[in-house]
Amino acid sequence: MKENEYDVIVVGAGCAGPAAAKKAAELGLKTLLLEKSQVPGEKNVSGTCLNGAALIIPELHYLLEGPIEREIREMRTHHINKDRTTIFHEIPSEGILLLSVRRDHFDSWHTEQARKAGVDVKLSTTVVDIIEDDETVKGVITDSGVQYYAKVVIDAAGVNSIVGRKAGLIPKRKGKNMILYTTVCVHLGKEIIDERFGDCIEYYLSPGIQHKTWPWIFPKKDTVTVGTGGYMDENLINDEFPNVNKYMDNFLNLPIVKKKLEGGKIVAWGLHLEYDEVIERRVKNGLILTGEAGGFVIPFLGEGMPEAFFTGIYAAEAAANAIKIGDCSKTKLSEKYEELIADNFFMQAFRHVAAVNKEAILTKSDEEITRMMQSVIMGGGFISNAIHTKWLKGVEDENFELIQDAYDFLELIQPYAQVDTDFENIYNERRKK
Amino acid sequence: MKTEMIVDYYPGETGEFIKVIEANCTGCGECAKFCTRDVWELDGSIYRPKNLKLCVECGACWNVCEFEAIEFNEPKGGTGVRFSYG
Repeated sequence: MKENEYDVIVVGAGCAGPAAAKKAAELGLKTLLLEKSQVPGEKNVSGTCLNGAALIIPELHYLLEGPIEREIREMRTHHINKDRTTIFHEIPSEGILLLSVRRDHFDSWHTEQARKAGVDVKLSTTVVDIIEDDETVKGVITDSGVQYYAKVVIDAAGVNSIVGRKAGLIPKRKGKNMILYTTVCVHLGKEIIDERFGDCIEYYLSPGIQHKTWPWIFPKKDTVTVGTGGYMDENLINDEFPNVNKYMDNFLNLPIVKKKLEGGKIVAWGLHLEYDEVIERRVKNGLILTGEAGGFVIPFLGEGMPEAFFTGIYAAEAAANAIKIGDCSKTKLSEKYEELIADNFFMQAFRHVAAVNKEAILTKSDEEITRMMQSVIMGGGFISNAIHTKWLKGVEDENFELIQDAYDFLELIQPYAQVDTDFENIYNERRKK
Repeated sequence: MKTEMIVDYYPGETGEFIKVIEANCTGCGECAKFCTRDVWELDGSIYRPKNLKLCVECGACWNVCEFEAIEFNEPKGGTGVRFSYG
């Protein structure tokens, strides 16, 4: 094999790329990993919490040796409207739920693992085009004009990947299948984070702080990452919300959040697009799309990194299989790739839960959803049970009439569920007597 | 606390990685509307990425443009936005 010829070229050293490259090298393939940034992870913005439900699967165990910021064991969900704040604090008995990371540290470590496995790694190298011949992807061209050839190219270059776009697989996306979100990183120092957040991640839902998404605060070692945004439909940007920073401003200034971040300093800001549906055509002759390039992300549940790791590994396995039998056609590559994806319980289960809940939630306004969630959480006993059962059954059976029933019931019980706002005034007047 | 867009960039020229395809631009302004960094400015009847140095490479403009009027590529290797706490 010539110097610029490889079995596999992987484009992008985020989550999927190093996983794919490392696996390919371990399977004995001559592998090249190309990354546009100087340091892997420095072009990435994400929620940055790795889900234990995914990491428990043996093929991801090696990731547990990487640089971890904080072990997350608890979760708090805040539902806030003008009448009340409802906080649901979940302390599962399973132990570690998530591991928070910094992508610049984690992706760099991951890339190093690929290098140690025998991968050629080239940083500061942007792929500008693909080499295609007879409907088959043969390689890539870099910004310095160098051509690299491979039997299989694995695209791990993210949501707007130029490889997937040039191959005609990644379309333009907006509306209800694309999310634009922004993050700020707030430095508070380890002691304050231990005290105010501990090992707990927080989610928030309140009118005006998001557009159909779940704002979050994830604690790291000495910083917290705050994120919010919304679906890129016609209602995301308007006179009241000229850009996504306005949602962030409202979030940062919710009284409960303001207090938690008091004394903190914003040290970084980020912006990212996230695709919300799997791309239909994710394989071509000689090319496999992985991670966000293939639409393998579940914004609704905040899941992207595990899907990227899995699809990276599976793409490498599919490539190795195809190279071994000497047939890197679309049919051969997707046969193995799809088989491995279908067998992954985490990917199948999470995607299903997300899809149906998303559909249900998009039918209601953020205010209605906040109120619904509050009633489910705070009502306890019969009231919440009546709503909860129908909602869950509706989601499970994909029966949206049941979801509407649950909502209608919520309307019906409003007089019972809501404490009269005048009550305190009446009480105070009585007490004076 | 108010959102501050604190953003780092690698040194070095990115190249003109976003371009308007003049013949296709209708001046609808969707690119500017969805751009959080004010990269796009109206110039006569069309929009141009005049403040490309502010771009954080999110791709919102390219995705929302219905008229194939935006060429969205990548900055030269090792240049462009640099997120430290991504």
